Amino acid sequence: MWAIIKKEVKTYFLSPLGYVFIGAFLFVSSIFFYLFSHSIGSVEFANLFFYTAELLTFTIALLTMGMFAGERKNGTEVLLFTSSRSITSIVIGKFIAALVVIAITEIISLIYYVIICCFAGGLTNVPETIAVLIGTILLAMSYISFGGFISSLTDNQIIAGILTIILLLATWFLPNISPVFMMLAPTTLFERFTTGVIPVADTIGLLSQTLLFTLLTITVLQRKKNLK
Amino acid sequence: MIKVEKVTKDYGGHVAVNDISFEIKDGEIVGFLGPNGAGKTSTMNMITGFIEATSGKIEVNGYDISKKSKKAKREIGYMPETTPLYNELTPKEFINYMAELKGVGKKERKEEVERILKAVNIEDVQNKLIRNLSRGYRQRVSLAGALVGNPKVLILDEPTVGLDPKQVIQIRNLIKSLGKDHTVILSSHILSEISQICEKVIIINKGNLVAIDTPENLENKVKSENVLLVTVEDPDEKIEEIVKTMNNVKTLKQIKELPDGTKEYSIVAKENKDIRKEIFEVFAKNGITIFELKKSEATLEEAFISLIDKQNENKKGGDK
Repeated sequence: MWAIIKKEVKTYFLSPLGYVFIGAFLFVSSIFFYLFSHSIGSVEFANLFFYTAELLTFTIALLTMGMFAGERKNGTEVLLFTSSRSITSIVIGKFIAALVVIAITEIISLIYYVIICCFAGGLTNVPETIAVLIGTILLAMSYISFGGFISSLTDNQIIAGILTIILLLATWFLPNISPVFMMLAPTTLFERFTTGVIPVADTIGLLSQTLLFTLLTITVLQRKKNLK
Repeated sequence: MIKVEKVTKDYGGHVAVNDISFEIKDGEIVGFLGPNGAGKTSTMNMITGFIEATSGKIEVNGYDISKKSKKAKREIGYMPETTPLYNELTPKEFINYMAELKGVGKKERKEEVERILKAVNIEDVQNKLIRNLSRGYRQRVSLAGALVGNPKVLILDEPTVGLDPKQVIQIRNLIKSLGKDHTVILSSHILSEISQICEKVIIINKGNLVAIDTPENLENKVKSENVLLVTVEDPDEKIEEIVKTMNNVKTLKQIKELPDGTKEYSIVAKENKDIRKEIFEVFAKNGITIFELKKSEATLEEAFISLIDKQNENKKGGDK
């Protein structure tokens, strides 16, 4: 699995994808930082991070759309599936690689927190910040597994990307349809992380979404092997 | 050793491979022949575990490919026909990645990559992006991917397509030398290549196994007719008359007229009779000058075509 993670992370940064993802994320984050912190003199970091995390809805597809669709299109999936690696370790390897890119982005965007701390004269809002960072990672995990699942269904990266964005955006409105869907919407689950506590139910919610879509991806790839 | 037992691949109504069984022993180089769409690549994909057979059993060195796939896959190096590569990597990075995927240990990896780069002769482009490589180089990088980790079974789908003649010879020699301690299955459209490298040929057509034998035996099977090719200068156009008087000749047929006025004929003689001496003497007596006289050798190509035609006819007959 280590081999796959290493290669996938490397590929993100050998192609423009990794840079575009981080660049777009930081660009919008900077605008938010200006609007929500700098211009109104707020030292609240969690709120800022909440909005930037929601950005993932639109940008995660950059990381996930090529995961399996790209390999299938290039024919390189045969290299992976005839190596002695199991489908599970391939799926998890690619998942972790995308998560590494998210983690790198998180670390870079901590710069906003440092700036806020400078103005606040010391560490500020520590529990909220830690909680929202953990929440962001959990949200990203759910999104990556979902995007990877969509990517496993097709051999067209563009379709995978657009479908991922549309469906993730649709989950924003799930709670509006009925409160029953509350636990299905990743952003709703993420919301409570901004309060400075790590909500157990919501953590389990995001983790089970991740698990569900990872398992679905593995199943799809296994099925395709039989149908091919 | 590769054991294929009653393997069928059904793509929802379209049977690509139909109840094929064969066995390949250790250290054999086997050629896989068949027209386009015969099921060669499907069979290779099943042996390598890339796709699952609808029914049947495949064993590679004793490991069932669908039940013990991890162990079985470790025995195999596969070079797919489409030479899929990661364009954003360099050959060296690619081979290193393949080595990692195949579980080559960290300590041996560097040495192994160097060895492979040398074996397929791509040291000069090892640090260029694969995206920028020519077809011949890509082909060799793909072959390198199959060789890395020294798997005991090599499955090569059209390994010499797109190479220049010198590279073709290099790769053929490489495959031949690998055949000493590897089991090799290779498919090719170039029949002379198969007859040069392979000790055994498997011919499949429309998903069915047509023949499995040595190239020599297959050639002998179609060499039942005793055919001579003769090029003559025959100013008085007497050849037909003269040949009629010869007892051992069955038929005479003009093949072509050459620009220098000579004509090429094929002469079918009675079986097991060598009439070359007779032709030489009789023709000379009658003022016909022989420019060339040779026995027509049946090639693997003819064997292949006749076997495929025979099977197609049988099928047609069966359908009626």
